[in-house]
Amino acid sequence: MAAAIEVVHPGWLSLVVDAGRTGYADIGVPLSSALDGLGLAVLNRLLENSDDAPALEVFGIGFSLAFSADTTAAITGARVSAFLDGAAVEPWATFHAKAGSLLRVAGVAEGFRYYVGFAGSMELPRIMGSFSTNLECMFGGFRGRPLVKGDRIGIAEARKVEHKAVSESHLPDMRPPHALRILDGPEKDWLTDDSFNKFCDIEKNLRYAVSAKSNRSGIRLEGESLAFREGAAGSIVSEGILPGTVQVPPDGRPIIILFERTMGGYARAGAVASADLDRLAHLKPKDGVLFERVTPDEALRLNTARRGFISSLYKTIGG
Amino acid sequence: MEILPYGENGLRLVFGKEVSLAVHEQVRKAYLSLKALSLPGIICIIPSFTSCLVVFDGARITFGALADLLREKKEEMAAEWKAPRLHEVPVSYGREYGPDMDSVCAYLGLTAEEVVECHTSVVYTVFAVGFLPGFPYLGPLDKKLFVPRLDAPRVKVPEGSVAIAQLQTGIYPFDSPGGWRIIGKTHLRLFDAERPPYSLFVMGDQVRFVSV
Repeated sequence: MAAAIEVVHPGWLSLVVDAGRTGYADIGVPLSSALDGLGLAVLNRLLENSDDAPALEVFGIGFSLAFSADTTAAITGARVSAFLDGAAVEPWATFHAKAGSLLRVAGVAEGFRYYVGFAGSMELPRIMGSFSTNLECMFGGFRGRPLVKGDRIGIAEARKVEHKAVSESHLPDMRPPHALRILDGPEKDWLTDDSFNKFCDIEKNLRYAVSAKSNRSGIRLEGESLAFREGAAGSIVSEGILPGTVQVPPDGRPIIILFERTMGGYARAGAVASADLDRLAHLKPKDGVLFERVTPDEALRLNTARRGFISSLYKTIGG
Repeated sequence: MEILPYGENGLRLVFGKEVSLAVHEQVRKAYLSLKALSLPGIICIIPSFTSCLVVFDGARITFGALADLLREKKEEMAAEWKAPRLHEVPVSYGREYGPDMDSVCAYLGLTAEEVVECHTSVVYTVFAVGFLPGFPYLGPLDKKLFVPRLDAPRVKVPEGSVAIAQLQTGIYPFDSPGGWRIIGKTHLRLFDAERPPYSLFVMGDQVRFVSV
């Protein structure tokens, strides 16, 4: 029988993602990429897939799928307790699923979103160069929608890959509270100095909580509202926006923009340092969030250190 | 032209503060030129009302080096480009197609015929495409049609809805939430992810609405 996976339970939300739909931001098409880019990249390395291969991005417990043929698979991202026909599955490592076996995620120990991939090619069309699902406009991924029970995706060229695992010491920290480093944004000066300084003074330990109203487009934060200077307009002439931007609408409640928007009309107070972008995938409702202001030079250093960490992580899996 | 950093991988080319056709023309020239030049390290360019956001690959070029390069290309970025395309967009105004037409008329003290006459008498410019894939931000709108956004945005604006807010008008390419006031509907398909060039409109195009 041809290799395929069948969704038995989609968890709270599961969808097909890849490294992103690049090149169309000028016609309003966002990246819709995997929120944890490192989780996806490592998954593809473990499985010896190409960097632009798709995977399933899932959150919530209960996610379950059945394998129709022998398949090598892996789970990265959030640390989950997963079982293959009752046997525990190692996190951030490959495992071999026999035809007819059932994978089930029983709990999430750390982090929020996890990535499930297979050695081989998921039989899905590339739409505008990408496998990612644009949920809002319902295109890409699996028929432009989240996966539901009974969905079946063929795995072409399914391969058996030797066992590979990321060493325990290299698993990224995803535990709350999440300390996010931010650079000043273009409209930072629209806020009062007092308000902005307090917002990103990590010593003051002023925490925000992730709102339950957050989604794949943006993370809404609850906590002390930011204050605009007198005379500062609450909104800007709509302009291009980068993932990780901290937007502040007129009500003063910050929103971290993710990968589903190319333009925005609210004040851009800050931008999350690229070294911390993958972390955003693991901010779940009620988690504490703290901000720390960094200079562009510090952000570059953090990014260099991050790249060093990633290459040493790849070495642990022989990549 | 001002060059400003934004995050680690963004460079803003800002041509003015206020929305105007003159500023738009500078943004359009810079956008088209930069696209044609395809400079190394540039990932994408997002043009909008008053600026181009240039997203670059920090591993390939620094902000400083890119800023210098763009200053060098300043003259090329002001090159003339061929005249924009003009689209005619058929619209069914009012009734079930424009659920806010009555409240717009009441707010402006105009009849529906006057609103339609005013809305169809101008050739609009696509200042930007964004918010949603293929959504054209069109303007400038005649000041006579200035209405505020809805206090509470609609949860679902139907695909093809033609709407106005402040000095802008636009067309929704997908069913989506939205806070602009809907005055009509077009049957034109604005965006098709499966057929290049995907978006009916690009930044700089011109649009005339025709009442049907």
